[in-house]
Amino acid sequence: MAEKNYYTIDPEGKLRCMKCGVKLVKGKAKFLYLDNGFPVELPVCPVCGFVYVPEELALGKVASVERALEDK
Amino acid sequence: MTQIQERGSTHVYKVNKISKEEMESMVARCVYEHPPFCSAACPLKLDARAFLEAAAAGNFKKALQLYEKITPFPLILAMGCEAPCEKKCRLAEIGDGVAIRRVEEAAARCGAARRLGGVFRSRKRKSAAIFGSGLFVLFLAGELEKKAYPTTVFCEEPDLEAFLRRGTDFLDESAFETELKRLKGKDIQFEFSCALTRELLEEKRGAFDVLCASNEVAARLYPESVCIPELMIREDVKLVSDLGGGVMEAAFGAKKAALTVDRLAQNLDPRNTRGQEGAVESRLYTDLSAADKLSRVPMAGARYTPEEAAAEAGRCIQCRCEECLKSCAFLKHYKKHPGLLSKEIYNNTQIIMGDHQLNKPMNSCSLCGQCTVVCPNGFDMARVCRLARQNMVSTDKMPLAPHEFALLDMLFSNGDAFLARPQPGFETCRYVFFPGCQASAIAPETVKAAWLDLCERLEGGVALMLGCCGAIGDWAGREEMAEQTKAFLDRELAKLGDPVVIAGCPSCRKELAGHEGLKIVGIWDVLLEIGLPEGGQGLSRPAAMHDSCGARGDEKTRSAIREIAKRLGCELADTPYSGDRSPCCGYGGLAAYANREVAAEMTEKCLERSDAPYISYCMACRDRFARQGRESRHILELVYGTDAGAPPDISEKRYNRLTLKNELLHELWGEEPREMKLDYELNYTPEARRMMDERMILTDDVIAVLDEVRKTGECIFDEESGLFIARKRVGNATFWLKFSREGDARYLVHRAWSHRMTVVKREG
Ligand code: SF4
Ligand code: SF4
Ligand code: SF4
Ligand SMILES: [Zn+2]
Repeated sequence: MAEKNYYTIDPEGKLRCMKCGVKLVKGKAKFLYLDNGFPVELPVCPVCGFVYVPEELALGKVASVERALEDK
Repeated sequence: MTQIQERGSTHVYKVNKISKEEMESMVARCVYEHPPFCSAACPLKLDARAFLEAAAAGNFKKALQLYEKITPFPLILAMGCEAPCEKKCRLAEIGDGVAIRRVEEAAARCGAARRLGGVFRSRKRKSAAIFGSGLFVLFLAGELEKKAYPTTVFCEEPDLEAFLRRGTDFLDESAFETELKRLKGKDIQFEFSCALTRELLEEKRGAFDVLCASNEVAARLYPESVCIPELMIREDVKLVSDLGGGVMEAAFGAKKAALTVDRLAQNLDPRNTRGQEGAVESRLYTDLSAADKLSRVPMAGARYTPEEAAAEAGRCIQCRCEECLKSCAFLKHYKKHPGLLSKEIYNNTQIIMGDHQLNKPMNSCSLCGQCTVVCPNGFDMARVCRLARQNMVSTDKMPLAPHEFALLDMLFSNGDAFLARPQPGFETCRYVFFPGCQASAIAPETVKAAWLDLCERLEGGVALMLGCCGAIGDWAGREEMAEQTKAFLDRELAKLGDPVVIAGCPSCRKELAGHEGLKIVGIWDVLLEIGLPEGGQGLSRPAAMHDSCGARGDEKTRSAIREIAKRLGCELADTPYSGDRSPCCGYGGLAAYANREVAAEMTEKCLERSDAPYISYCMACRDRFARQGRESRHILELVYGTDAGAPPDISEKRYNRLTLKNELLHELWGEEPREMKLDYELNYTPEARRMMDERMILTDDVIAVLDEVRKTGECIFDEESGLFIARKRVGNATFWLKFSREGDARYLVHRAWSHRMTVVKREG
């Protein structure tokens, strides 16, 4: 079943977790804010679970969803 | 880590606490929507402003369309009206009122007549009969036709021309022809040469839904009946009619009668839901200072030519109250007068579920009180916005994001950076100097110099209190935090022996004046009393004095500051909107945190008053003007010969406060300087520094991220940029860095960003 992801970023093997010594992969993550959740696919460390939120995403989509929820 | 509770879930619904009555009484003060005096005096409610505006632009077609809204026979009305509007025109107070009637006449003559020919208009099912002739019958027939009632006029006259002659002898021939043509174009039935008897009327009751008659006919056929003037009806005989009178009475009577017909046709009581009818009193305020053309445009002939009429219409100053919109950048930005904006803000607080679109506007007002002074009715927008903020906070609907940085700054000022000490050598003091959080952040040297001066020259000891007065919590609408701050400061003041507070900032002074039993003066008052210290100097060129909104309503402070400036040898240039009418620099009310764009417009509004350097007596004003590149000095810098120089960024503002505290603790109270050094080297690219200031990211946040990396080793390496990436959740936000490093010893930050959402890995 195709589930809905609000955003997808593939690290394409260019990011490495320094703690675990492995490459980040496209993995399932979730944003949470004011009791609302949004499934996304982001670069994630398969070992320790570090989820990377790139600058463009944080200042773009994430910021605008934050503003919208804050004014609910 | 100090943290402030984020707002509640978007899934929990709370109700409001603002009283509707209170809000309505506030809203009612704004007269923006009141009609201009000319329209108010017109029983038919001509939109005279729009009409004259169109005529002034030479657009007589549009002008006539507006005029036709109030009458079916514009030329008859224009030539016969007594023109009550002209007598009430504001220009009549200082010169000649606008010759509105003459302009109407010109429009009715040259604007193309409204033609409905060809267009199919659906007619109402109920029908009306009118008996008689004369102006009332003519106007009523026109009004009913406009409302699409099938209407039949029964008259004694043999034809249309004879019918129209009745009561219109003031028309010249060409005007008569024009109106005859207009009448012919209307969908009205006529029965000519009728014998208007009681039998005829009674007979027609069966064929028509509503019967109407001229006063003349009604009084003749039913001499016992009485006409109710408000409704234009003889209820006893169920006959709509008038009371006689001039042209305006006929036109207005026909309007009222048409409404009564409307009600009767729907079997409704004609008394109900009539709305406001006739002339009204207006409380509109008009600034007459800009009016220049005070005499009527003369007529070359018997009436205005279109050109003359346009020129006369152009004399109208378009009365409108916009005093606050002219002076306040916030209101101008949202293009809404306070009456309307307040209504919308109130509605915003009532929304339980859904978008609160007015959050941003209500948080963008600087709560400066300027509008209350410039408004002829004292509209208090600051109160509306403050109440609304408090309401949003108390119902847990106020987002923390717009104010969090400022609130944390207040907690920082009254936490890590707080200092309250008696003057060395004293247990308790007669005075305490309270410079304000912005002064220590922006001009620490000046704070130090001022305090040392006071210590030296005042008897009884001068304690020092570095902290925030609590205005920030108050501005944010967080009553609880404001109360806590108040109690905290009261406790600290008690420890110092409840000294007289010498405020360095008018806003602190205002805020602290709300503490019970607290005695407070401004440092400016003290300096005038004990004289200025040696070494002070004014500016070498004329300067503009910017009055702080903290000194609104405080003439004493404003003149004390001017006196100090004078003694320093400053030459002050006059600016518009100074003194009590001064605009806010954009810091007030936390506008700069909630809406940078509006705050920048506020600063611009302050600076556009003069090209001269600015002298102010609030550090926030000094800072915002300097940031805009204007030469800007605080009066205390001039008094003490200090210069705070270029404005600090948000991290430097914190650093300055801590450094001042540590330096004083060390130098005056002999305490070991607190170690503020990191055990690694931390640098920033200029790009990173700029980014941090803009994104409200502090060096403390950066350090928190790096400390985390050093502790846990959690970070990622980005092959593309060759930089490391790490993050740390601090309070309600997650901070991210991109940096390069030399082992554990040296870090260079390249980029920084943050978000408020949390992010977690999801299983499956
Ligand atoms: S000054 Fe502003 S608030 Fe006051 S009446 Fe005029 S438009 Fe309304
Ligand atoms: S100046 Fe214009 S808007 Fe004002 S009262 Fe006169 S006609 Fe009306
Ligand atoms: S910013 Fe000042 S002048 Fe403007 S609405 Fe708010 S309190 Fe009034
Ligand atoms: Zn890992």
